[in-house]
Amino acid sequence: MEKIFTTRSILLWILFAVVMCAIPFLAGKGFLRICIQAFFLAIYAMSWDVLSGRTGYVSFGHPFLVGIGTYATAILSYRFDMPLIASIPLGILATMIGGTILFLPALRIKETYFALVTLAFMELIYQLTQVVRPDLTGGTRGISGIESITTGAINNYYLSFGLMFIIAFSLWALMRTRLGNALSAIGMNEEAVKGCGINTTKLKLFAFLVSALVAGIGGAFSVHYFGSLAPRNLFDINFLFTIIVAALIGGSSTIIGPMIGALFLTFLLEYLRPWVPGTERFFIYGIVALLLYMYRPSGIYAIFWEVVDKFKGKNASSIKDSTSIQGVK
Amino acid sequence: MIKILKSILAGIALGSIAMTAQVASADDTIKLGFIGSFASDTGRSTLRGAEMAVEELNAAGGVLGGKKIEIVKADTRQDVAEGIKAYEYLAESEEVDFIVSGSIDDVTLGWLPRMVEYKIPTLDTWTSYIGIIDKLVEDYDKHKMYFMNIASDEALASLYVDFGKDILAKQMGWKKVIILQEDTAFGGAINGLVSQLLAPEAGIDVVDTIVYDVATVDFAPLFSKAEASGADFIYVIASVNSQVVASQYVKLQVPMAMTGIAVSAMGQEYWEDTGGAGGGISTLSPVPSVGFELDPISQEFVDKYKAKYGNDRPKYPHFNGFNAYFGVKQAFAAAEKAGGFKPLDPWVGAMLEQDLKLDKDGTPWMRYGFWKPGEKEERTGRTYPHNARFDITKPYDDGAPSMVVLQWGEDGVARVVYPEKYATGKFEVPSWVKK
Repeated sequence: MEKIFTTRSILLWILFAVVMCAIPFLAGKGFLRICIQAFFLAIYAMSWDVLSGRTGYVSFGHPFLVGIGTYATAILSYRFDMPLIASIPLGILATMIGGTILFLPALRIKETYFALVTLAFMELIYQLTQVVRPDLTGGTRGISGIESITTGAINNYYLSFGLMFIIAFSLWALMRTRLGNALSAIGMNEEAVKGCGINTTKLKLFAFLVSALVAGIGGAFSVHYFGSLAPRNLFDINFLFTIIVAALIGGSSTIIGPMIGALFLTFLLEYLRPWVPGTERFFIYGIVALLLYMYRPSGIYAIFWEVVDKFKGKNASSIKDSTSIQGVK
Repeated sequence: MIKILKSILAGIALGSIAMTAQVASADDTIKLGFIGSFASDTGRSTLRGAEMAVEELNAAGGVLGGKKIEIVKADTRQDVAEGIKAYEYLAESEEVDFIVSGSIDDVTLGWLPRMVEYKIPTLDTWTSYIGIIDKLVEDYDKHKMYFMNIASDEALASLYVDFGKDILAKQMGWKKVIILQEDTAFGGAINGLVSQLLAPEAGIDVVDTIVYDVATVDFAPLFSKAEASGADFIYVIASVNSQVVASQYVKLQVPMAMTGIAVSAMGQEYWEDTGGAGGGISTLSPVPSVGFELDPISQEFVDKYKAKYGNDRPKYPHFNGFNAYFGVKQAFAAAEKAGGFKPLDPWVGAMLEQDLKLDKDGTPWMRYGFWKPGEKEERTGRTYPHNARFDITKPYDDGAPSMVVLQWGEDGVARVVYPEKYATGKFEVPSWVKK
């Protein structure tokens, strides 16, 4: 088995961090605000990817997980004046409990049926927020005026980038272990993995918990960045598709891919704003995402390597190999 | 991976340059940001009112030493998260000097913390949530850049209670009401105020409240529940998709009267939107509403509006179109006096001095001014810093009335039915309701 950390890979991660940390010195605050949105989307996309991209259990209920973390910390801090240092970890913990609940259907069903059941989870929590203790959840209008961790574009840039970076690096390291390989193997052929004597139930539970942990971190921190939450935004099919599309058009089953996808989608949408300020920009955004996925389902990450390999004179069949050789998959 | 990083960085650098290029407008322009819903008639009314004011100011030679005003627009899609992003875009990508808002209450509550952070002078023409004025009462320095030139919902409710007392209780003889309320910040606030005031002041008891989601499409079960409640009439509070509840009331011929707030009925397109199934609906409306007789200056604005936008909806400006038109002019007049929008304090002081009084036939008719911090409104005995200067006491000569009640007749004509000073018709129950 190859080493988890090579000097080259560690240096590349450090370089990535240094360069990203330098951006606030080069770019305007408006640019940083878009980056912050993209970083949170990247966290959600990585969370989805670690579950669905790896194990093949396609989740349509990811907003369910994000929502638990979001609501838990918002209610604890806003309604009960709990300090954020306690409310955020509790929100993340609540999301992991939610992840365990989401895991239960995976014991019995898979593929389309699993996806539909997870979609039902999202709808269920949307309805629950309206009828169960609306005095706490804020009913259909949600909660506004939630405490911020920090203010200003620069502070929030570093906070959100720091979170995304730590999550990305941790997932990257995890996926290079035997455990990560086993998760990917489940996605390829679960029965074969079982046949090798490996307990796939435990492995899947682990993937669900990691996914929930990441979604919980994203949800809990983002609500303290935005300062408000509304169930119609959170438990919404558009939000779900944005997460999935970010992971898919970036490059599923990779760590870099969902980050690239999130940055691409967020910047596309925001850069269209001056020219197409109304709802039409969402139409353009949808068309671009659709075309990209239809014609290059392997994602932007793979497109990049295709281009690199063309320059290097390699043939198409070597592309797949080249991505593994780079050691970033 | 180095190449990936290089390409990401190159993208970021290019993007940053593009953003900077967008922001780098000439020094001879002042940027006005519009935040609101592009798709709603109410949001578009604010945008058009602001556009017309800007065109006139630019045509008159510009502002602040001949600078031209440029409008930058950001769509909220009536969505809280999009509203926050839109405010961030205006503040940090476009670096606007002043913002005019056509946002609903919930969206405003979402971006309000960003306004506090950026300290950009902001004029709200649609949101009427008293909770925001309360924020100025509680922490004036933090929120002093905010102005709301529509009467807050508390003032709307106060005058509406008078309508309840004079018309619903005294004239119609009704004693019990059921409230049909949408689940929004606006709905909750109005319900709270009406519930607290109707019973003690008008002698009308609230027997029950039905709260519904704004996405509700079938109101038949809710109307059945209302009928079974034993109430004399329904008080509806609907600001989002309100044509649905209004037209279903008419189509189902619900055998009890319904009044309250149906925002769609405040627009000229209401009759078309309901396919003619809108007769009998009455609604509280901020002023000027459809069916409201106008003073000559407001009429001139409407004439220009119709000439400019023709049949493109909204064909007639909603109340917030007037608010935006006069409010934007006032904001720039204040900036002229203060030497700009920054620093904040001189502009806030100058804005508080803005006071446009409009007469009709020698009678005070409309007024665009603001309550000053510490200044108490006589009837309620409380302060409304930076809220539109409303008048909720007869004969309504000290400010604009906070609202009127208008009613769509079954002939498709909207008439103001309360207060008497502004009335152009009489309140009636629909023909299918037993009197």
